[in-house]
Amino acid sequence: MRKRRYLVGGIIIILAITYLAYTGFRASAAYYLTVGETVAQASSLNGENLRVNGKIAAGSVVNDISTLTLKFDMTEGEKRLPVVYKGPMPDNFRADTDVVVEGHLDSSGVILADKILTKCPSKYVPQ
Amino acid sequence: MSAIGYGALFLALVASLYSTFAYAFGSKGKNPSLLVSARTGLVLSCVLVTLAVLVLLLALISSNFRIEYVSSYTSLDTSLAYRLSALWAGNEGSLLFWAWLTSIFAAIVIFTRRDKNRELVPYASAVMMFVLAFFLLLLVSVANPFHQLSFTPSDGRGLNPMLENPGMIFHPPALLAGYVGLTVPFAFAIAALWSRKLGNDWLGAVRSWALLAWLLLGVGNIIGAWWAYVELGWGGYWAWDPVENAGLMPWLLVTAFLHSVMIQRRRGMFKVWTMALVILSFDLAIFGTFITRSGVLSSVHSFGLSTMDPFFWVFMVIIFLGSLGFLFSRKAGLKSEADVDKLVSRESSFLLNNILLAGSTLIIFIGTVFPGLSEAFGGVRIEVGQTFFNRVNAPLFLVIILVAGFCTLMGWASDTVKKYLRAMLWPLLITVLLVVILFVLGVRQGYALVAAFICPFVFLAILFKWFAEVRQSRREGAQNILVAGAGLFWKNRPRYGGYLVHLSLVVMAVGVLGSSIYDVQQDVSLKQGESTTLQGYTLVFGGLDVQETPDKQVVSAEVSVYRGQDFIADLKPEKFFHRSFEQPVTEVAIRSTVAEDLYVILAGWDADGTAAFTILVNPLVIWLWIGGVIFLIGGIVAFWPGRPGVPAPKPDSAVAKKDVIVEDEIERQVRRRRRKPGTRK
Repeated sequence: MRKRRYLVGGIIIILAITYLAYTGFRASAAYYLTVGETVAQASSLNGENLRVNGKIAAGSVVNDISTLTLKFDMTEGEKRLPVVYKGPMPDNFRADTDVVVEGHLDSSGVILADKILTKCPSKYVPQ
Repeated sequence: MSAIGYGALFLALVASLYSTFAYAFGSKGKNPSLLVSARTGLVLSCVLVTLAVLVLLLALISSNFRIEYVSSYTSLDTSLAYRLSALWAGNEGSLLFWAWLTSIFAAIVIFTRRDKNRELVPYASAVMMFVLAFFLLLLVSVANPFHQLSFTPSDGRGLNPMLENPGMIFHPPALLAGYVGLTVPFAFAIAALWSRKLGNDWLGAVRSWALLAWLLLGVGNIIGAWWAYVELGWGGYWAWDPVENAGLMPWLLVTAFLHSVMIQRRRGMFKVWTMALVILSFDLAIFGTFITRSGVLSSVHSFGLSTMDPFFWVFMVIIFLGSLGFLFSRKAGLKSEADVDKLVSRESSFLLNNILLAGSTLIIFIGTVFPGLSEAFGGVRIEVGQTFFNRVNAPLFLVIILVAGFCTLMGWASDTVKKYLRAMLWPLLITVLLVVILFVLGVRQGYALVAAFICPFVFLAILFKWFAEVRQSRREGAQNILVAGAGLFWKNRPRYGGYLVHLSLVVMAVGVLGSSIYDVQQDVSLKQGESTTLQGYTLVFGGLDVQETPDKQVVSAEVSVYRGQDFIADLKPEKFFHRSFEQPVTEVAIRSTVAEDLYVILAGWDADGTAAFTILVNPLVIWLWIGGVIFLIGGIVAFWPGRPGVPAPKPDSAVAKKDVIVEDEIERQVRRRRRKPGTRK
């Protein structure tokens, strides 16, 4: 009798945790793709949470301070993907470095970024 | 010079390997002379690793740039403090630091545990020497800190300027020492399993080590959060980065252990569970070191090396399968001696606390490794964001805090629900009143209201309980209330250290909740003289200023802050352009009050002097740091050596068999005094 009460309690806790984990996962899970993969699958990625990894194309960066808009292209080999981001330019944002862009793909094939993670190879190892 | 260092490491590896086997066979075969030589091997390896550390420190101080490690992390104008802390700035050095701490802890164990647990120490030493040998193997093969360049550079590259912060001096060593500290409880757990001495002896040996590791991990994490907040310039302090998670997960499991161990010592319950917690927290510490240093999971902390991966995989498989296999094979000796018999009792609340802590750890673990797993097995890398971690952990942590409050009010197995409700009455009334006031004042957010109930309730519950104990002790001893309180506190350090830690968690929770529910952010670009308003603050941009210093160019913005019409502060967010580093470093300007932080980041500017700012108002965030200080104090009080009073009764003793188990020294004293008439004046 007593054992069963604890069992029921334990199951309720586990179900609650599972439910929270499930909704959290649905809300935040994102495909982690390269520029090439994103361009290739663009039609099926509409509206999905994405994290796209690529290099900042040299000469493509337009940073408009007065409207706080950052536009640039990401590249992977020959493939290119335009990105628009509303917000200030991150510190280590330089051409030819790796970035991860978090956001969505719009219908014209432009990434609308919510967040830009500059991937310094390491905070520890200066490059 | 580097030959001496490398030679010392190599000999230390030989000594530690010898010691591992000599301890293992010596204690199995009861061979005293083998054990003596094993002990010599342990001491020798400690001396040799210490020598290697001294050599590296000397090289760092004397700018021996021929050694690659020295030229990578220091330069001629690195100050002494950062030269010394360069010991843990890079992969090789931090592994050496790890090995050094392991060898020192092992030496402390054999020198301080001569009488107690004499049978367990050889087994435990074998385990610690095995762990040490693994790290020494890494150091002599793929991570040699003494590796020499083919030429001598005229100057080193210097420490990354982002690391030049007091955080660098305390955060890495605290976390590393915390990780290493977990080796000792792990070693004693394995020793108990190995030798089949599964009584409670091994627990006595590990309580202080677990507490020390737990305190260091906790403080290390808090300093890391503070460092990220003041230095990294994104306005937050915790991002559920894999490496942050790696520091948090073992801490959560050790927290669970520190509670379950009390139940095991008093009532002989949860034995397998307690053992599993110790083993898993060590496994997670190794796993954490591994993901910090490998490219498996992307992280801001990563060292970007992968030659060590195969070593770590093999080591992790050995310790994980080995320890859990051991545990499984000795299961029969770890039967519980009692059942959780009352729903409202400290046992059941500890059980709940353990389930919640383990559940939270599991969820964090899944979220951390999910990208790697989905890529390995599903072919698509799927990452989970902060929302995942926050959504699961916010309610879990709130419930954990609530349980901490309830369980402070409860006794061991003995309390009636009525007595318990009476103890709860005042805290509950005050808290309800507070929630009503907040609601009337306009707080409507669900989480905020729940938190506004839980946090003050738990805080008050602990304070009331504390006060009741002081009053009780005064009634018994008839002293001044302050003297009685201080005496009680000092005599029961583990208990009141625990109270302080619980209070600190509530205080930190207030900081976390305030700054995550009510934070406001604004990205704005301003021309000189323009202003912007956020949360009642008016910020006027006075212009940009450029200064040249010998090692860097500093661009700063003059920002005057007004509240309504009243001037309150000048803030000066800056960006540094170090000559030796391409990447600029943002120096945020923060104005802290007890109510909220105004956090201003200079994000960029263009040729005509228009500057872009990110401005945040983070409510209550200072309470996170204040809570951190209380946590440290409480932890030190609980850890303070020399446990006063009588140790907890053994579970097989007559006292423990009865249902009325007195909780601590205080209750025992009180009873003793009651039995003696005439003590009361």
